[in-house]
Amino acid sequence: MFMDNEIDNQDVSLLQMSDSFFPTGLYATSNGLEALSKIKKLKSKDISQFITIFLRQVVGPSDCTALGSTYESCRKKDIPALLITDRSLYFMRIIEETRSASVRSGNQLLKCVSAFVKHKKMLKDYQDAISTGNATGIYPVSFGVAAWSLDIPKNKAGLILLYGFTVSVIGAALRLGILQHFDGQDIIHQLRPVILESVLKNINRPISNMWQFAPGLDILQMKHEIMSSKMFIT
Amino acid sequence: MSSHRIPRVGIGGPVGSGKTMLIEQIVPILSAKGYKAGIISNDVVSKEDAERMRRNLATERGLMQEDLVIGVATGGCPHTAVREDPSINLSVVEEMELKHDYLDLILIESGGDNITTTFSPALADYFIYIIDVTGGDKYPRKRGLGIESCDLLVINKIDIAPYVGADLKIMERDAKIVRSSKPTVFVNSKTGQGVDGIVSNIIRDLLFEARPKSLVKN
Repeated sequence: MFMDNEIDNQDVSLLQMSDSFFPTGLYATSNGLEALSKIKKLKSKDISQFITIFLRQVVGPSDCTALGSTYESCRKKDIPALLITDRSLYFMRIIEETRSASVRSGNQLLKCVSAFVKHKKMLKDYQDAISTGNATGIYPVSFGVAAWSLDIPKNKAGLILLYGFTVSVIGAALRLGILQHFDGQDIIHQLRPVILESVLKNINRPISNMWQFAPGLDILQMKHEIMSSKMFIT
Repeated sequence: MSSHRIPRVGIGGPVGSGKTMLIEQIVPILSAKGYKAGIISNDVVSKEDAERMRRNLATERGLMQEDLVIGVATGGCPHTAVREDPSINLSVVEEMELKHDYLDLILIESGGDNITTTFSPALADYFIYIIDVTGGDKYPRKRGLGIESCDLLVINKIDIAPYVGADLKIMERDAKIVRSSKPTVFVNSKTGQGVDGIVSNIIRDLLFEARPKSLVKN
């Protein structure tokens, strides 16, 4: 039973940013899944495990932490702190192709949002910092600045970020022919607690405690990066 | 961030229609006239096209710098990458504009079938769609977004038309009907026959007869 029927502009913005139609370029990445699919025949549960490891070991403790920290910097209008978050996450991305794709997506996301969100100083200041070479615009930080500018609550922004990651991997699995469309939706449904837990565990983590540790996935992505024939950006 | 937009040509067409070979014919003609081009190749499954153009046009013939040919992976969605979400392509274009502001134009190649291919106006200023005669002379008559919406339709492999039963006159007639006043050029991109006409169209309709930047500076 619905306890609350109130809806507002923030909810629409939330839907807009979580829509796979929102232009970020993330559909072109598989996060190494394509390389894994060449090594072994993958099943539905493998995709679920792949995403779970990413959420718990990489995207949660690094991207989601950076997003939470970005929100705090925006709230305090603290540009130097925002730049530290930007740089810390940039240097934590050890796979070159993943790093550059994240920067490209982040920059385009900011350009898109700034086309319809005006008069948000942090959004403008962050873009200025990028254009002067003082920030990279890496995706989770750009996403945080954009979501904050759209007045989306922090925890919900975390959900969109991790949900978006999950859907991008599912999309890659569908296009690689590993899953059929019902399986993809089933995995998203089953992963709800993992997404939720990863947000709640990491969104308030201090930037000094940001981490990621998934050496197997790193090696996989390195293998993918040098593949001569591939559909996806790593 | 980019400050000067360099004119951009989107070149789309089905796999095997001759997009890469066409670019390999266009660039030397442009180069001989003093125009400098960069190339972005949206590869569907491999880096082969970008590597081939880099080797052929840059390494072996010295017509451009090697870093002016960039391959982009599209996650199996070449249409999306040039149409509804061109984020990655735009990012690469803007990087090229920033690093190589002396370029006169940027060629953006993408595979894509006739039914759905079109370039976002944010990405390309001029759209060339290429088909070949092996699909039969009914191809233009059957319409489609690519054939109908492109600024210049290129019909390739005219040398083998007699062997596949394609009547070029029928293709020309139907292209005129379907595309109103927009131009169609018949080429053999293997020999270069007809490619001059494509370059003339680009210089007239995209560059508005502007002289090459290198000549203006001198």
